[in-house]
Amino acid sequence: MLPPYFEFQNSVKLLCGELSLERLANELQQQGAKAPMLLTDALLYKLGTVDAVLSSMEAEGCRPACIFTDIPVDSSLRVVNSIAALYHHHRCDALVAVGGGSVIDTAKGVRLLLSQHTDDILSISGVENLSRGTHIPFIVVPTTAGTGSECTGVAVIRNDDTGVKMEFLSPFVQPDVAVIDPRMTQGLPPKATASTGMDALCHAVEACTCQQANPLSQAYGTAAIRLIATHITQATRKGSDKQARFAMALASTMAGIAFSNSMVGAVHAIGHALGGVCHVPHAVAMTILLPHVMRYNLSHAAASYAALLPALVGDEAALSTPTDKRAEASIAAIEQIERELHDICGLPLTLEAAGVPRETFAQVAAVAINDGALIVNPRAADEQQIISILNAAY
Amino acid sequence: MKLSLQKFIVGIVLRVVHAALVELYGIDSRVKAEFDALPERMSYAIATGHHAPTLFVRWKKGKLVRLQQLHAAVCTLRVKSTAHSFQLFTGQMGLAQAYARHAFTMQGEIADVMKLARLVNIVEAYLFPKIITKRILTDIPALQANPLRVYGKIALGFLRFKY
Repeated sequence: MLPPYFEFQNSVKLLCGELSLERLANELQQQGAKAPMLLTDALLYKLGTVDAVLSSMEAEGCRPACIFTDIPVDSSLRVVNSIAALYHHHRCDALVAVGGGSVIDTAKGVRLLLSQHTDDILSISGVENLSRGTHIPFIVVPTTAGTGSECTGVAVIRNDDTGVKMEFLSPFVQPDVAVIDPRMTQGLPPKATASTGMDALCHAVEACTCQQANPLSQAYGTAAIRLIATHITQATRKGSDKQARFAMALASTMAGIAFSNSMVGAVHAIGHALGGVCHVPHAVAMTILLPHVMRYNLSHAAASYAALLPALVGDEAALSTPTDKRAEASIAAIEQIERELHDICGLPLTLEAAGVPRETFAQVAAVAINDGALIVNPRAADEQQIISILNAAY
Repeated sequence: MKLSLQKFIVGIVLRVVHAALVELYGIDSRVKAEFDALPERMSYAIATGHHAPTLFVRWKKGKLVRLQQLHAAVCTLRVKSTAHSFQLFTGQMGLAQAYARHAFTMQGEIADVMKLARLVNIVEAYLFPKIITKRILTDIPALQANPLRVYGKIALGFLRFKY
């Protein structure tokens, strides 16, 4: 059934595939940037991942005016505010973010601050509440295949004072350009490949089945699910497989486009809370919670889950499954993928394995019910129901 | 329907929603718990369109006070048009559906909207018949009192100029 109304926007130029990194300098030039600020994290800098980006830029005569490498695992409001001050200090004129979700979300926050001419990002928090502001050229180079942050209109940034992950929703946080170069994810360890891939799968599943789902987000979402179901185990098992890496990078981007235009759901609401309260890595939380939240939602989203089965197991296997069993079969297919990933790389599949103490469940639930992602979940959830989901996932 | 009539109806419903929240604080334990957890002077504003009615309420000393003029609230919802406000406040569209249809913008923290959404869902469960709430809510909150009692208290409150 078609929704009565929906919106869809993706204004990010995507550079996908071979030698896409080598086009970065040209893109900066086209954006009118001469003194870009490069943002990354310490690990990527130490591993030399950033060197590839810097080399590609310098080969074409482009040097960053400033390189900031201290972005923490969870992006924070304080870091965003301090980077914006540095941007002004070094007279930068563009942002280049090289990293995973935290780096890109931090960069989005910085861009918001700069374009809206404010000193404190908290003052502009909200949903679709901003005007375009000053254009700050912004290019991202994702180094994981999971967050899809390169194409989303949302920045998730942790409030240092409350520990809560805050969402800033605006089409103006979307980058101008995203460089999807499979080389950037080839060094990713198996466990990170698996968990970030599951994060992308979660984005796609929730985008296709939440209350804000629409035909366009579902088209991107199901295409992403098909790519992930086909390639995630191979990308995890053999990281050097370029085809599998490229497929996962594309899937992550498509899932990002999907959920940016239809939001997510309870998996993310609870996952954000687990991240804020227990510091569970986002992708690990998504992996653990996805099948349990799907089971919780089953009574309200059976038809949507059933529609995902062909993308998860292939058309023939889906068609041979009785219609009334397809929703449950979709959940089983996801659990099967997770078990395979667990066998390959030890991906944790329970909250206990992720080191979450049961005593924190009440606190996690209290935070989760105030997460914006919950509003479009197919089924409402109160604190007790969230605790039940957490218990099932323990 | 004429725009002026839509604005008039939306204005009345906003007043009833405020009155319902005030009354349900003493009737429904979930509403009481939500309000009691709010920080002192927490404020919500709802703007319903161009030159259309507004609701501005502040939680102050254990009471939900309605203020006449729209000041800078901690959390402000601006419905994008009177037509959307009319749908939202006459049981044609729930708050979650309004969010899904990009029917409003919000200034403030999303967590505060979630608190408001839970309160509005409970109010709708009391004020609207099931045939409507089934269509606009994914799950209907259980009622802790007879809706007629709530309506009666609201009517009495209006007669006593309580709100």
